[in-house]
Amino acid sequence: MNNLAKPGPLQDNAKHMFVYFSELMDRPVFDKNGQLIGELYDIAVKPTEVYPQSALLVVRKGFINRKYGVINWLDIQEMKEKVVRLKIDKAKITFREKHNNKEELTLRRDILDQQVVDTFNHKVIRVNDIHLLEVDHSLMIAHVDISMRGLIRRLGFEKAVDFLMKIFFRNADYLKTEHLISWKHIQPLSINPVSMTIKVNFPSKQLNSIPAADLGEIFLDLSMQHQLILFKSLDLNTRARIFMNIDFKAQESLVEELEQGEVVEILMHLPTDEATDFLEKLPRDITERFLGLMESKQSKKLSQLLGYSSDSAGGLMTTEYLAFTKDTTVGSVLSQIKERVFKVEPAQFVYIVDEEHHLVGSTNFRRLILANPADPIQSAAFPKTYSVHLDSSVKEIAYLMEKYKYYVIPVIDEKNVLHGIVTVDDVLSQVISIAWRRLKKIKVQQPKI
Amino acid sequence: MKIRIRKYWREFLIFLSIMGPGMITANVDNDAGGITTYSVAGAHFGYSLIWSFIPIIIALVIIQEMCSRMAVVTGKGLADLIREEFGVKVTFYAMTVLVFSNLFNTISEFAGIAASAELFGISKYIMVPGCALFVWWLIVKGTYKSVEKVFLVACLFYVSYIVSGFLSKPNWQEVAHSSVNPVLRFDKAYLLMLMGVIGTTIAPWMQFYQQASVVEKEIKLKNYKYSKMDVIVGAFVVNIIAIFIVIVCAATLFKNGIRVETAKDAALALKPLAGDYCFYLFAFGLLNASIFSACILPLSTAYSVCEGMGWEVGVNRRFREAPQFYALYTAMIVIGAALILLPNVKLVPIMLISQATNGILLPFVLVFMLLLVNNKRLMGKYTNSLIYNIFAVLTIVVMILLSIALLLTQFIH
Repeated sequence: MNNLAKPGPLQDNAKHMFVYFSELMDRPVFDKNGQLIGELYDIAVKPTEVYPQSALLVVRKGFINRKYGVINWLDIQEMKEKVVRLKIDKAKITFREKHNNKEELTLRRDILDQQVVDTFNHKVIRVNDIHLLEVDHSLMIAHVDISMRGLIRRLGFEKAVDFLMKIFFRNADYLKTEHLISWKHIQPLSINPVSMTIKVNFPSKQLNSIPAADLGEIFLDLSMQHQLILFKSLDLNTRARIFMNIDFKAQESLVEELEQGEVVEILMHLPTDEATDFLEKLPRDITERFLGLMESKQSKKLSQLLGYSSDSAGGLMTTEYLAFTKDTTVGSVLSQIKERVFKVEPAQFVYIVDEEHHLVGSTNFRRLILANPADPIQSAAFPKTYSVHLDSSVKEIAYLMEKYKYYVIPVIDEKNVLHGIVTVDDVLSQVISIAWRRLKKIKVQQPKI
Repeated sequence: MKIRIRKYWREFLIFLSIMGPGMITANVDNDAGGITTYSVAGAHFGYSLIWSFIPIIIALVIIQEMCSRMAVVTGKGLADLIREEFGVKVTFYAMTVLVFSNLFNTISEFAGIAASAELFGISKYIMVPGCALFVWWLIVKGTYKSVEKVFLVACLFYVSYIVSGFLSKPNWQEVAHSSVNPVLRFDKAYLLMLMGVIGTTIAPWMQFYQQASVVEKEIKLKNYKYSKMDVIVGAFVVNIIAIFIVIVCAATLFKNGIRVETAKDAALALKPLAGDYCFYLFAFGLLNASIFSACILPLSTAYSVCEGMGWEVGVNRRFREAPQFYALYTAMIVIGAALILLPNVKLVPIMLISQATNGILLPFVLVFMLLLVNNKRLMGKYTNSLIYNIFAVLTIVVMILLSIALLLTQFIH
């Protein structure tokens, strides 16, 4: 993957023109009578669309006694030949000490030189320049520039460096590729000082489409303040996904900053094994306080799970699985699977139990689809189902899973009652940490992004 | 009662886990250059300069505490904040000067390593490349946690100066008397020395390093008071050690009227006067300080530049994840070590350039810091109070004047 932006629909039309924000910055601004007002300081955009459009122009005047005036974009006559001309008179503009338009996103304060999330490459990046598109007298944010060249342009050395590069390295990547990232992939992180939230880029919903593990990593790249505010701006599902994918230290510091009610909400949204994983690392009194605040059904389940040792089947298992009594027909099982909402994708196994919840057998989605819908589920079962006990060790579980090529294994007690399932990822993370302790140096192969 | 003791014990343990950035940054202040300055101060002026360490402690705490606070509240490094608030141009030029200043500082640290190698009778052609390789390996292969532990052990080795202070059998009454009775003598040499002692205390890299390492350590706001303690304890420790260096040289060299120009001279002159142990401890202290600082200075540079330019940063990342960070770090060490091994390299101009670049950069950094720490948008309710601001402005003005004065006198010489 590279950083090259895909040409969006906006680029197709050749008569449109692109301009860098750094080229507009500090241009002199004249009123309709040709009198100098000040220089272009900032541009505010309406962040409502995928490609936000310029709405206001901020002009700065004075050097020691700096003042800022805000001008409606419609009052601009033209922006040509390195100057900006307005349609209105100088007297109509009011200058203030500060310009605090909290609703809009402004290019200089909120984007330029700031950190933003690149949802395409799943990274936190710093913006070196902003690429704007001129459409019908207004400007749209098209791309952000994160390249070395953008940095050099800002420093005012672009021509000199380009000249040198052309002489010495004609074929350098520097001259050919433009490291522009389309705005639709960018999530700005500027904080609204009033509501203390980040405006999440809803039209594109990019953040929701990032794999949870990557989202966790992006999250850890941010400062604590940004972490907290971004976290609060997201919906509950995304919050739970992030929470599952950050380490305990980060979880702990988040929990300290959040309200108790918010924490409980997240805990209720986590798969039970992830929730117990987190709770068992907390001091006992805090764990109990959270359990007390939860719905009684959920808290009962969790406190039961917390009773098991963390490296036994009971401690590793999740209580979210699909189980049906043996007389249920295949057709009704399939329709129930379709209707249920899951916190995580369930492994594609279905367990068959009797009235007292004793484990009788198991089957998988493929067998169910191929079976006759009118038959009882028992007819689609595997010939034999292996299981582990609540107190089985990680090693035993790993051994059985490897032997029978399972990626999920059911957990039962001494009376053969089904209690939960252990999935391969939980076993793997345990086995890996055991291996780590043994051979401290395993070279982990990092996938190249 | 029992509960109260347990509570204090718990607080102490938290402090130990937070401690690090302040302690390390302060201790690097006693680097090869610092030890030279203090040795010369002790040898030429006896105990009469000891009082100046009290205002130094205050200045150090005021400035470094602001960095620490900014790091905890914003979660961003100083270079990050300068870039975000003052734009890319300012950042770029500040970073360029910082790179030069730190590079020349690093060179003088390697000179310190070479000098102490000679004191132990080891060839500098073995010692300097060996140490360079060690400090490079430490950062490239380490994580922030492991690196910090090594640094804290290095801080512990500074005790060698305290031991050698006792071995030199100073007149403690005189020491106590002169540390609380400031004497201002108006002869030129004394004033120059005073400026040297105070002026070397606060260098621009320290603010960048302190803030970056607090950020990297991810200290939480509720633990901030421990971070503040870290800064204060660090400032005291470093100055007590500096006082002991002055004491060693005052009790032996000054009493016998021996004049020295470098830390190496001082160590050699100690041998017949205070015995072999004192000599070895003094030389070991110099070696430890030089290696330690040769590690921190390039690290601080890499942190600041990568932060400011928006490149990946951090000891916790691998070489491939943060190429600019490690390239810069490596380049600083290689250049620093290689220059010292060149025959006939002159140290005086190197020191001069280092001091000049420091003097140019310091005013800007301190003013930026003051603006940032008082920015409500960034710091919320954690901006400076009025009284703190008065002290901070006073300190900053004095530091700026001193560094400029030092710069001028060096060039007039």
